[in-house]
Formats: sequence, C-alpha cells, structure tokens
Amino acid sequence: MQILVVEDEQKMAKALREGLEADGYAVRVAHTGEEGFYLMNAQPFDLAVLDVMLPGHDGFEILSTIRRRGIKTPVLLLTSRDAVEDRVRGLDIGADDYLVKPFAFPELLARIRVLLRRGKAPAVERFKLADLELDQGRRSVTRAGQAIELTPREFELLEYLFRNRGRVVSREMLARDIWKETSRQTPLDNVIDAQMVRLRKKIDGQFEPKLLHTVRGVGFVLREGDES
Amino acid sequence: MNRKVRLRPRHLRTRLTLSYVSGLAILLVLAWAGTCGLLFWQLRNQLGHFSIQEIETVEGLLYFTPQGQLRLKEDYHNHSESKDVIERYLEVRDADGSVLYRNERLGDRSLGNPPFRGEGVGGYSERSERLSDGTRMRVVSRVHVLDGRPLLIRLAHSEEPLYERLRDLSLASLVILPIVLLIAWFAGYGLARRALSPIEKMAREAQEITPEKLHARLRVDDADDELGQLARVFNETLARLERAFEQLRRFTSDASHELRTPLAMIRSVGEVGLQKDGSRAEYRDIVGSMLEEVNRLTSLIDNLLTISRADSGHIQLHRTTVPMLALAREAAALFEILTEEKSQTLDVGGDETAQVEGDPIFLRQALVNIIHNAVKYSPIGERISVAVRNGDSARVVIEIKDNGPGIPSEDQPKVFDRFYRVDKARWRESGGAGLGLSIAKWAVEANGGTVSLQSEVNEGCTFRITLPRAAMPSKHAKPASPVPAPEHA
Repeated sequence: MQILVVEDEQKMAKALREGLEADGYAVRVAHTGEEGFYLMNAQPFDLAVLDVMLPGHDGFEILSTIRRRGIKTPVLLLTSRDAVEDRVRGLDIGADDYLVKPFAFPELLARIRVLLRRGKAPAVERFKLADLELDQGRRSVTRAGQAIELTPREFELLEYLFRNRGRVVSREMLARDIWKETSRQTPLDNVIDAQMVRLRKKIDGQFEPKLLHTVRGVGFVLREGDES
Repeated sequence: MNRKVRLRPRHLRTRLTLSYVSGLAILLVLAWAGTCGLLFWQLRNQLGHFSIQEIETVEGLLYFTPQGQLRLKEDYHNHSESKDVIERYLEVRDADGSVLYRNERLGDRSLGNPPFRGEGVGGYSERSERLSDGTRMRVVSRVHVLDGRPLLIRLAHSEEPLYERLRDLSLASLVILPIVLLIAWFAGYGLARRALSPIEKMAREAQEITPEKLHARLRVDDADDELGQLARVFNETLARLERAFEQLRRFTSDASHELRTPLAMIRSVGEVGLQKDGSRAEYRDIVGSMLEEVNRLTSLIDNLLTISRADSGHIQLHRTTVPMLALAREAAALFEILTEEKSQTLDVGGDETAQVEGDPIFLRQALVNIIHNAVKYSPIGERISVAVRNGDSARVVIEIKDNGPGIPSEDQPKVFDRFYRVDKARWRESGGAGLGLSIAKWAVEANGGTVSLQSEVNEGCTFRITLPRAAMPSKHAKPASPVPAPEHA
C-alpha cells in the first residue's frame, strides 16, 4: 500500500513516515504542495495524507485542484485548526476524512485503515486471541473455555479492541467510537480508565498470559506478549 | 482628477452655523414679504378710500349745461389745489356707455374697459386697471343720478407710486439682508464654536487613552448637562473595557502558567531520561510519561480554544426542545462506573415533562462538567443527586447536590472563574485545569440560563441551573437520545 504524505514540517514528516512504515505502508513524502501535486499526478497512490497549512498553495487548493482533475485518491486532511467551518470546507471540496493536530498516532492509523478498507465490509463475527474468544452473534466471551459475563459496554469495548488487535487504541478513539462523545472537552479519561480496569479484571484477572495492556501515555492494546 | 465635490461642510460648527443662518434668511425673507404685502394692501385701501371721498365731492360738482353737456364746477379748485385733486383721473359715462366727460389729466384715454354689468350700482366698485400706456390705476366707480339721468362716474388714482415704494423697500432689503446675515453668521459660528469646544477637548482627552492607559477617565465639568452625560457614558464604557482587558490579561497569564506546568514536566522528564543509560522498558516509561503530559496539554488547549471561541461569540447554538431529565440521565450515566468505583450513589430524578429550549450539546456539556465535579469531590460512599423540575415563571430548574467537603463562602464567587481550583495541590490527581465549571457556566448562560452555587463547609454543594422552559411542551419527546449524531462521520 502506497501512501503519500504532504507535510512541510520536517519533524512531523519524519514521524509520519516512520510511523506509517512501521505499520507496513510504503511512504513517499512531499515537502511542498507543488511537489505533492506533481507526485499525485505522476503516479497512483492508495491514499494521501495532506497537511492544510502548507507554504504557497495550501492543502485546500491542492485538494480541490486534484479533485477537479478527476484524481480519486482518498485524502485525509491534517490541520491545526479545529473550526467547524474548516472541517466542513475540507469535506466539501473532496476530503475523505479530517484530523486535527495534535492527534494520537493510533487514531491516524485507524482512520487510514478505515479509508483503505472503505467498501469492503469486515464480516468477522468471531475473534480469538490466545485462549480468549469473542462471538459476536451469540454475544458471548470465554477465556480458557470459561464463560465471562460482560456488561454491554464492556462487550463493545472488547470487540473494538479485538478489531484493532495488536494496535494501540487511544482514549480519543474510545471516547468517540464507544462512548459516542462529540466534544473533545468531556472529562472521559477517568471513566475510560476505570472501565478498562474492570474489563482487565474480568478477562485477565486469574488468567495467563495477560492480554489487555496499557501503553502509557498513548492508550490500550489487546495482544499476546508485553512488547511489540 | 475626478474628485467628488464635497457639498457637506466638514466641521459640525460650520454645518450648525450654516443651517442656523439659512433658517434665519428664510425667516427674514418671509417677514419682509409679509410686511411689504400688508403695507401695499393698506396703502391701496387708503387710495381707494380717498377716491370714494373724491367721488362724493365730484357728484356735487357735476352739472349739465343748458346745451345738455356735462361739466364740472372748476371753481372748486380755488379752495383745494391739492396734489391729489390734480392727480386724479375722472371719467363719466352715460347709461349706454358713451363718454360724457373726461378730465384734463385723463385726456381722451379710456379709464379702463367698457362698463360691466352692475358696475357702480348700489355702492362703490373698486378695482385695479391699466391705462392704455400701461399705468396701473386704482379705479372706483359709482352710478350717480343727475337730473334724472343715471351717470357712471369713474375716478382713479395712479398706483405707480405704491409700486415705486415697494421697489425702494426691496432695494433697501437687498442691501440690509446680507449684512444682517453676515453678522448672524459670525455670531452663530462663534456660538457654535463655544458650544462645541468642550467636545473637542473631550476628543483630545479620549485620544490620549490607549490600552495601556485604560485607567484614565474624561474630566466631567458638569455631570448634569448633555456633555457631562456624554462624558459619563464614555467613562462607564471605559470602565467596562478596563475590566474586560484586566480579565483578558489575567486569563492570558493564568493560561500561560497552566501551559507551563505540563511543559516543565515534559522537559524535566526528557532531560533526566537522557542523562542516564536506561533499559528499553525505562525509556518506554519516560516517553509514556511525557505523552501523558502532552495529552494534558492537548485537552487544556482544546478547552482554551472553546473558551476563546465562546468569548468571541463564534459558537453557534442549534436550539431545539430538550427533554431535560433524559439529558441529565444520559450525562449521569457517563459517570456510572466512577461512582461505582467510589461506592457513591448517583440519583437522577424529577419531572419528565420539564423541557428546555436550548442547544443539547452545550447543555449536556454543562451537566457533564458539573456532575463530574460533584463525583470528583465527593468522598467514598456519599450520595449525589440530580433533580429536574419545572420551576416558576417559565424556567426549568436542575439541582446537582453532593455531600462533599463543601466550599468556603469566601471562595464561592470564584468557583466559576477560569483556572480556579479549591484545592490547588489536588489537581494533578483529579486531572482538571479548573476550566470545567467556567465552561459549564458559559454553556448555561449562552442558552439563556443561570447557574449558581449554594454551599457550606462540610455540608456539600448544590449547583442550581435554571433554563428557559420550552414554549410548547412536545408530546413526542424522545427521551432516548437527545444528542444528535456525532460530527465525525
């Protein structure tokens, strides 16, 4: 999967490149809008991550030009401005998604996965990790064959972690996707942490190996083994 | 080169004087015209009156000669050689209109048109006519019966002297009027300048006031006159501005202080981490700790942005009818797990029909922030209650009551201030920057509501929100989800 990153700030560009490469993508970086525009014209990418605040032609201009030329590459806009009008404008001129800086990296990865997967419905109904199993149809969870009672929210949370198995999910992602919070100001971190403590007690409490891990400062991950 | 000609004078005093002088000019012209008209009318009346007297005299002096010719007894002149007698015009006509007599002054000119019907019958007919040479005349006629024959006597005096006087008067006015107006201009200009000079002074004083010198005020000479009032209003505005500036300054300095705290931690943790050779796990821990501070910074900045947008009025509310109890239940449900952890009970109850007109997103934010505050500061095992009811005068009242440590009365007014925290030392563990309640207050007030706090030490706190009740209680209230779908698609 080839991703184009158009970002003028060197540090940010480097972080994006390394982070995306670590997740298994081939990354091409453009440092100016013109270069990005040229590259998108020259070769097909599976996805473009486009910074809005670029020197010269900004992200909005680049985006509307390539859309006018009929290039349908999915575009994820990055911006430091959180104004709703900006968001609406970006989506209006053909952006597929929109992320406000500073964002959590797992969030970016999740959005990119959604964009690349778009149209292909994930039909998975049963998940399994080590001896932990989740059956969506029967809404049941077992660990080492023992049934575990989960509240609906805990079930939803575990399912979400399963879908992002091996990848870190941030508190922002959980707040938005599980708690359906629209506002970034809602004091949810304590709630999420408490909920995670409970879920961990239920699925990891008396079992080995531990599967639900906290990644300090970033979020949570469901996987076997401590280190990635 | 195409400069537009400016017809309106630039200075207020010029404009004032101009309008005053033109008003005066119009009045003077009107008064003069009225006077002239009246004078002319009176003089002409006098002339007519005089002619009537003359006719009476002439009637007595007319006689027929034995040959049947009409004559005037000229010897009368010996007694009265007055100018008026000489200047009079006289014509006598027969009943069929033929001229019987014309005096010397008239010669053979006709005094006016041929007789009209009823002329001079039963009184005096008085009118203005022109002679063939254009001279304007005041003509009086009367029918007089002499020796059984009805005679039409016409007697006239020239009106020309009257017109001449009128002309003289006009000429005099043409000279006098501009002089009067010129004097009025200077007097008016001086007056306007004197009246306006305090305004210029005020303008100069006001110009000196910069954001750095907002404490300065205009001098008020007489508080009761119009200018004094103006100065007072201006000073009040200045005072409000000064307060706003002061608030802003404090906010900026508080905000930078709050931003500095997590930054300092990131820096120290990073610097200390680099100084030693740690294990991979240790480094992960260091980076994680730094990221935690970054998250704190991020949420702080999000809150600051919300506040700044609220301050600049850039947030648009989308008002609908909001079932308040359902909204409160939903907000409280968010903290269920936290209250369970602390063995607290969080009760939500009240009137299902209480509906509010407002923006559900911001109202929910307000409730969430206040309930979170209650949950945070209530000790383990305590009870928190949220009560919704229809209050008086079209308000809905929501009370959030906790049994926490309470807030000392001297601190209560500051609770809604930005960055205010009752216990400065505890904020790290509770994780707030002291913006939650101030955002809640803003959200409630933006929706036309009020929020207040009642508290006593060791007696807990009661936050009371009142909001405008929805005009028409809808029967189709959906208590399920008062909050619209998330913005992120």
